[in-house]
Amino acid sequence: MNKESFNSFVLAQFQFDRTADWLGLDLPTRELLRVPMREYQFLIPLRLDDGSVKIFRGFRVVHNDARGAGKGGIRFHPHQTIDTIRALAMWMTWKCALMDLPLGGSSGGVACDPHYLSLREQEHLCRGWVRQLARDLGPQVDVPAPELMTSAQHMLWMLDEYEALRGEKTPGFITGKPVGMGGSLGRVEAAGFGLVFSLREALKEIKMKPDGTTASVQGFGNVAQHAVRLFEQVGGKVTCVSCWDQKDATPYAYKKESGIELEALAGITDRFGGIDKESARKMGYEVLPGEAWLAQDVDILIPAAVENQITDKNVQTIRPRVRIIAEGASGPTTFEADRVIAERGILVIPDILANAGGVTCSYFEQVQSNMNYYWEKDEVLGKLDVKMTSAFNAVLEFAKKKKLSMREAAFSIAVARVAQACKDRGWV
Amino acid sequence: MHYQQSISPFDRHFFTGKEKFTAIGRGSLGGKAHGLALMKDILESRLAASYRPDIDITTPTLTVITTEFFDLFMKQNNLYDVAFSGLRDDLIATAFQKAELPAQLVGDLRALIAQVHTPLAIRSSSMLEDAMFEPFASVYSTKMIPNNELDTDSRFRKLVEAVKFVYASTFLRDAKNYIQATKHKMIDEKMAVIIQEIVGVRHGQRFYPHISGVARSYNFYPLGHTKPADGVIDLALGLGKMIVDDGVAWSYSPAYPQANPPYNTLAELLAQSQNEFWAVNMGPPPEFNPLKETEYMAKFSLEDAEKDEILRFIASTYRAQDDKIVYGISEKGPRIIDFAPILKFDLIPLNKMLKELLKICEDTLERMVEVEFALTLDEHRGAPARFGFLQVRPMVVSETKVDLSLAELSGEKVLVASDSALGNGVLENIRDIVYAKPEKFSIHHSEAIASELEHLNCQLVASSSPYLLVGFGRWGTSDPQAGIPVNFGQICGAKVIVESALPEMSSMLSQGSHFFHNITSFKVFYFSVSSWDKYKIDWDWLNKQEVVQETEFVRHVRVLSPLKIKVDGRTSRGVIYHE
Repeated sequence: MNKESFNSFVLAQFQFDRTADWLGLDLPTRELLRVPMREYQFLIPLRLDDGSVKIFRGFRVVHNDARGAGKGGIRFHPHQTIDTIRALAMWMTWKCALMDLPLGGSSGGVACDPHYLSLREQEHLCRGWVRQLARDLGPQVDVPAPELMTSAQHMLWMLDEYEALRGEKTPGFITGKPVGMGGSLGRVEAAGFGLVFSLREALKEIKMKPDGTTASVQGFGNVAQHAVRLFEQVGGKVTCVSCWDQKDATPYAYKKESGIELEALAGITDRFGGIDKESARKMGYEVLPGEAWLAQDVDILIPAAVENQITDKNVQTIRPRVRIIAEGASGPTTFEADRVIAERGILVIPDILANAGGVTCSYFEQVQSNMNYYWEKDEVLGKLDVKMTSAFNAVLEFAKKKKLSMREAAFSIAVARVAQACKDRGWV
Repeated sequence: MHYQQSISPFDRHFFTGKEKFTAIGRGSLGGKAHGLALMKDILESRLAASYRPDIDITTPTLTVITTEFFDLFMKQNNLYDVAFSGLRDDLIATAFQKAELPAQLVGDLRALIAQVHTPLAIRSSSMLEDAMFEPFASVYSTKMIPNNELDTDSRFRKLVEAVKFVYASTFLRDAKNYIQATKHKMIDEKMAVIIQEIVGVRHGQRFYPHISGVARSYNFYPLGHTKPADGVIDLALGLGKMIVDDGVAWSYSPAYPQANPPYNTLAELLAQSQNEFWAVNMGPPPEFNPLKETEYMAKFSLEDAEKDEILRFIASTYRAQDDKIVYGISEKGPRIIDFAPILKFDLIPLNKMLKELLKICEDTLERMVEVEFALTLDEHRGAPARFGFLQVRPMVVSETKVDLSLAELSGEKVLVASDSALGNGVLENIRDIVYAKPEKFSIHHSEAIASELEHLNCQLVASSSPYLLVGFGRWGTSDPQAGIPVNFGQICGAKVIVESALPEMSSMLSQGSHFFHNITSFKVFYFSVSSWDKYKIDWDWLNKQEVVQETEFVRHVRVLSPLKIKVDGRTSRGVIYHE
């Protein structure tokens, strides 16, 4: 993985350009959609617990809001750059459009490593982030949500700060809140479960029964854990998971041929999805280098960590047995790797489809928060499944009809919808 | 029995899919659905074609939530602790309502309900029913939902509530007692759920089949010229609950479809015949109560059915001035639901078809059978009709030869004798007797008596003591004025039941068919003793026995030497001897 040279935004723009070519979009529309509509970069001074002051860089990008208020996550990550945020915001626009949600796309974050911040420091960072942006956020403007290394607790601090500034209760300001504090039941599971709903449909398409299928998963955070849980329930077996080891500053893969034990493994995992290596060894797991997750002899690969993980450097390690790649993370596959995967006939469930469960349920949460009336979990997950299944089948049908890959089909549907919204508004 | 290769997976198209019988998940279909699956192709190949276009024979569209999801539901919500606790039924049912259905199920339910706007029956189909030789009639719940709300969310919620209600019914008190009486273990029981279209037609605020029926290939109560092997058919207007739970129906022998039931007078016949019917309530939502099986059901009067212009195909009229029944409803007067246009004038060849159906089911299951069905008639001409095949279950008929002469019915040692006993065989292991105290009995206390009996039954079942049960009026009736309104689960430990008829009652036995099915399936001996019979119950002897326990209306006594009980199924003679 050549992380130094990788730029997510370059990948996102490349995907857009190809789609725009295929759709034959006119120049103004391309210019409008190729870059974000609004960007905010700001500094957050934070007094640390030791009394010193540190300055953090914060971001918020609204890529496009023609279809509705911006919607996108806030990530806390030390390698955060404006280009990563731009790419994530653009993918959010496509994702919301593909799922036919009345929302635009945005993204944001803070360049920081929460591993080294106390809870108090994180709380003040959250509040500082909101203070900088309060005028440009809101239920009808731009709605944040948790993402990499942010949680329901962070969302609640942000909501509290926003409500204090506004002087009113606005639970629809943010999603991913704790249940009972404006959060939605099913939100925690949504991204992982949504991925498996798509995967289930993909298995039907290739006429493979879920029983006995095997999978290898990159990442062991919220998305991955819930995906593993539901995948096992539908009859599959996960034999390998990988995650970042903060102590060794390197990823490891944990393998068990007979299938991982989800609950036990989750029991030795920290809140950032890092598995305790020594405990895993004692439990009989083979500890392998991080990239080993990709080279497993399994039917399904689920990259559910971060972007730029399947590249031209490692794509050849994918075993012949692999039939499906379900992208739980955003932008995990580079376009060079994508070409190789397509040549090998592997069915790819692209990120903007496979991981859309999270934003779909965020939308449900926003609706509930705005009504201040909350649904049962059955209702949330029932709606989620129908949305995911409909979207998958729409993409599949379009791909077959137009002889496109699943990724091309998904992007085409999404970009066409956003372009049409811009036209309908008279912007272009 | 696991997921059948022949059953297609549900493809999220309920009415519009290629398959009308589908399954969700990889578990068992459960007994009821298995029976339907077994018959669906056979009906099509051996019966349906011969009756078109007069009768369109189908298995109503359905999908089965297999037991896989029951297991997941129980496990994910940690419900076994609640289920096996001693909590009240309503608390158990509430805990189930609060639990969440498995994530991989709700999408299918959501997709189903989004496209279906007509009433649905959410039916139990348990694993233990799967044995096919177990009784389990009416032990678990069925919920009918009108499913006519405009928004999908409301319909979805009702469906989810109904599925959870059926799951909860696995662990309600009656079901637990019942399973204990079968010597199965609760932990073995798993529940599949059938979501099935209700065969019926909407008439304003109500939706109902024009005819429901239960057909049995063996008649335990042959009357007049009829023989047990002729079978018996019960028909009723509206939903089948009227027959299976209320015990009200037009009962006839398929060998003599034109003969009226043997009542003493026509006025008596009129009094005993159906005068109301069950339908799905399509009107304003009733009081919210997801724990009630009949939440969306309501009883309507025959006048309502007459307004719906249905009676002309199924009713006659009683003419009081000359004490006659006049076919049809052209004259004014009380209506009798006797299905005369169909049974006497062959509006549709229903009786012929049912005889053939019973034969086919018997051949398939290789034993006597009981079949449930529903029909709708053409609203203008009565024909053609749509016949929905709802259930088949085996009947338990004992083949043991017991000789019992008339002389043996009398004598000093006779506790009870009857020449209209039900069952066949000999029992010599009963020492416990539970009876309604004659000196305290009043029909107005029948519900309190039922409650006391349930309590005693629990204790006797727990101590594995089979017992003789003696009481007044009809057992198993839903009408507290006609007898003791128990369901079978409340008295499931009784191996012999004696019904001492109330003086004002007809001699016709008229339990709900589910109660009746359970009596026969559990091989319970049933003695009927009328007030005018020459055979009496020896109350004096009974009152002298050692009392184990006594409640306000019920006494439990135990005798030193076991009773000897003999029933000759061929002659319907039965006798109980004491030492």
